[in-house]
Amino acid sequence: MAKKLPEYGSVNVPKDREVPFGAITPAPVKTQDLFMTSNWRVVRPVIDHEKCTRCLTCYMACPDACWVYNEKDDKMDWIAGFCKGCQICIHDCPVNAISAVPELDFEDGVVRLEKPF
Amino acid sequence: MAQEKMLTGCAAAARGAQLAEVEVVCSYPIRPYTAIMMELAKMVANGELNAEFIHGEGEHAQVSVVLGAAAAGARAFTGSSGVGVTYAMEVYSPMSGGRYPVQMAIADRSLDPPGDFGSEHTDAMSTRGQGWILGWASSPQEILDNTLIAYRVGEDKRVMLPQMTCQDGYFLSHIADKVSVPDISQVREFLPPFKAHNPLSLTCPVSHGPQIRPDQGAPMDAQRAATFFDVPKVIEEATADFNRIFKRNYDPFLEKYKTEDADIAFLIQGAHANTCRKVVDALRKQGVKAGMARPRWIIPWPTHQIAEALGHVKALGVVETSTCYGGSMRGGNLAPEVRASLYDLDERPLVTSFMAGLGGETIWPEEFHHMAKVLTQMIKDKRASQYSYWVGFEG
Amino acid sequence: MNVDYKFQKLEPAKSFKAINRAEMYVPGHRTCAGCGPALNYRLVAKAAGPDTIFIGPTGCMYVANASYLCTPYAVSWIHAQITNGGAVASGIEAAFKTLARKKKYDGPFPNIIVMAGDGGSVDIGLQAMSAMMYRNHKVLFICYDNESYANTGIQTSPTTPYGANTTFTPPGKEIPEGKVLFPKYVPQMVIGGHPAVKYVATTSVAHPLDLTNKVRKALTYECPTFLHMLAPCPKGWKFDEKLTREMAKLAVETGMWSLFEWENGVYKYQNVPKTYKPIAEYMKNQGRFSHLKPEHIAKMQAFVDERIANVKANTAIPIPTPSSRS
Repeated sequence: MAKKLPEYGSVNVPKDREVPFGAITPAPVKTQDLFMTSNWRVVRPVIDHEKCTRCLTCYMACPDACWVYNEKDDKMDWIAGFCKGCQICIHDCPVNAISAVPELDFEDGVVRLEKPF
Repeated sequence: MAQEKMLTGCAAAARGAQLAEVEVVCSYPIRPYTAIMMELAKMVANGELNAEFIHGEGEHAQVSVVLGAAAAGARAFTGSSGVGVTYAMEVYSPMSGGRYPVQMAIADRSLDPPGDFGSEHTDAMSTRGQGWILGWASSPQEILDNTLIAYRVGEDKRVMLPQMTCQDGYFLSHIADKVSVPDISQVREFLPPFKAHNPLSLTCPVSHGPQIRPDQGAPMDAQRAATFFDVPKVIEEATADFNRIFKRNYDPFLEKYKTEDADIAFLIQGAHANTCRKVVDALRKQGVKAGMARPRWIIPWPTHQIAEALGHVKALGVVETSTCYGGSMRGGNLAPEVRASLYDLDERPLVTSFMAGLGGETIWPEEFHHMAKVLTQMIKDKRASQYSYWVGFEG
Repeated sequence: MNVDYKFQKLEPAKSFKAINRAEMYVPGHRTCAGCGPALNYRLVAKAAGPDTIFIGPTGCMYVANASYLCTPYAVSWIHAQITNGGAVASGIEAAFKTLARKKKYDGPFPNIIVMAGDGGSVDIGLQAMSAMMYRNHKVLFICYDNESYANTGIQTSPTTPYGANTTFTPPGKEIPEGKVLFPKYVPQMVIGGHPAVKYVATTSVAHPLDLTNKVRKALTYECPTFLHMLAPCPKGWKFDEKLTREMAKLAVETGMWSLFEWENGVYKYQNVPKTYKPIAEYMKNQGRFSHLKPEHIAKMQAFVDERIANVKANTAIPIPTPSSRS
């Protein structure tokens, strides 16, 4: 048995390809910033705060939790980073306080940005 | 104080699980392992084991239930036989990849068709690549001991892998033998409590097993493969500790019986090795330099250990009680792996395989003697004339 | 042995304002715009609160939510196979019970919730769901019903309605209606056969306060409970994504879906229409039904009429049993 047996070898994952042990990841806290889906939308919901009755229907209707009730200022805040432009809030607002405006109309319209998120 | 009892393999496995203080058990009946669960049910009912005893609705469910239990941080135990083992196949990789170190006690059984209660190793062998630690015992004592060793190895921080502790159906599972049952204090010295890696928790929320991109798949596989490089060392440490505390004498990977100067040798796992040992003694009396090697763990496969222990042997017969239809040797599962282990030696033994004990039949001493004759003839012929011999069915 | 497992008691909410504002299903997931199941998930997670563990069998609410090694769940969550949501949940529940008994865990008993699609509940996942309910685990099993195997590209499931166009039931010369089979009736599968289950309810995304309170009521029971949740799917049902909640509303108004609770043997209905709208109103907005001829729509109406008849039967005055009289 003069020839040396092969080694089992080694496996080293480079740092930039490391993956969590057992595919267990920490839970997100307030938002999952690895999925900013704002660049999906072609229209943006714009709210008329005068018409708004603070009924919170939009807040309960958004699959992406993009309407938040600002308790301090007593108005609805819109989260730009995640709105997909599905228009459920626009369609379901009982007083038609929200309207659909093309995303391209906005300076910070997502499709205008040089770099995607 | 250790107590000596007469226990069947099933009872021994149950005692092992009781001593390991398992916390969640999931049962489902299938011959011949069912008695393991019946014993555990009695223990739970009588307050001798503080565990949840869940009646699973099937083997796939059994493995799924214990996966959930381990993810939540409990030491979990289940088991099966035959087609039950293969029914649960979907869940084996999630268990191993999720790094949930549960234990599954297998009393092996031939796979259908047709219904055959006899012992064959094929059931658990079929799960080989899924990433579980896997090995066979050859006595009720060894089953109890392996139950504890497997938990210790599997739950080690460097390992975190599930384990299958196997025993031959009926030959071990249903026949009683002397077992030294350790004292719980000895066990607690050997086996620390289970500490899960990032369990499902309310105070430290985690996500177990999200979907991934294809480029994240290869590193996941690589990480799991990397662990198996570390497992043998952990097995060595654990076995050394076990031998010390419980006064046993296990080789961590391979029981070597009179192999040091052997010309012919058998490689055989499980209960039939007991018969083989007796035949080796008889052959030695006849002046034949025979030996036997018995792997205790086949995942991780003891590649180096087999080459080192058997490299000098002139003719090696791998005794297979499992089938791999259409495989390279048209026989079983162990021999191709044995050949691979010996490939790099300057001088290799001649290797053939013997299909024996299939369907739960006894392997008679005469059959081992017949195998020895074949091996001796191989040395004379300086070649193996066949990859495998289906003992009793040779033309 | 008497153990205080520290089960949670969740109070019903009287208004949207009264519901906690914290999101447990946070923004940042790759579900389709207007996804009904995603809205469902958000409302359920919010109702359940932070002391919750979700089990997610494979489906849209796994793949689309948890793509690429991150998830939107601010609470603990574990992936299960599509086959074994109920089984994995059973194991988690058993572990917490054992750990509490052995004093290795002394926190609140988690809300353990399975969020399974229709396939993962009553098709491939049926065995595990039923067994979990039989074994009396304290788990809330939720079937979010988008009436197809949506994640794999819209294939038929046992809850897909008669006449629906899916990629496994395409309409053609030989099979003009597309889907020939009528769907399983999910709540009855649970109510009829599982004595350990004391609470079954149906919900819709268009009735979020009702949904919230049903989730909380279910979680307060110490036995297995079941919620069947209507989750319209813009991609699968082929309607404009802004109409997701409207479809749910129409489903209730036409009798295609009934909102009710079944609690300890008693049915209680919510939002029962005074007169039901014809089913054609519901179907005309959904592209999956656009190939149907009047005779098919008539068959569908007959099917819905039977469902409506059940509502009337279940709300009739119950006959007192001998033991309840004494």
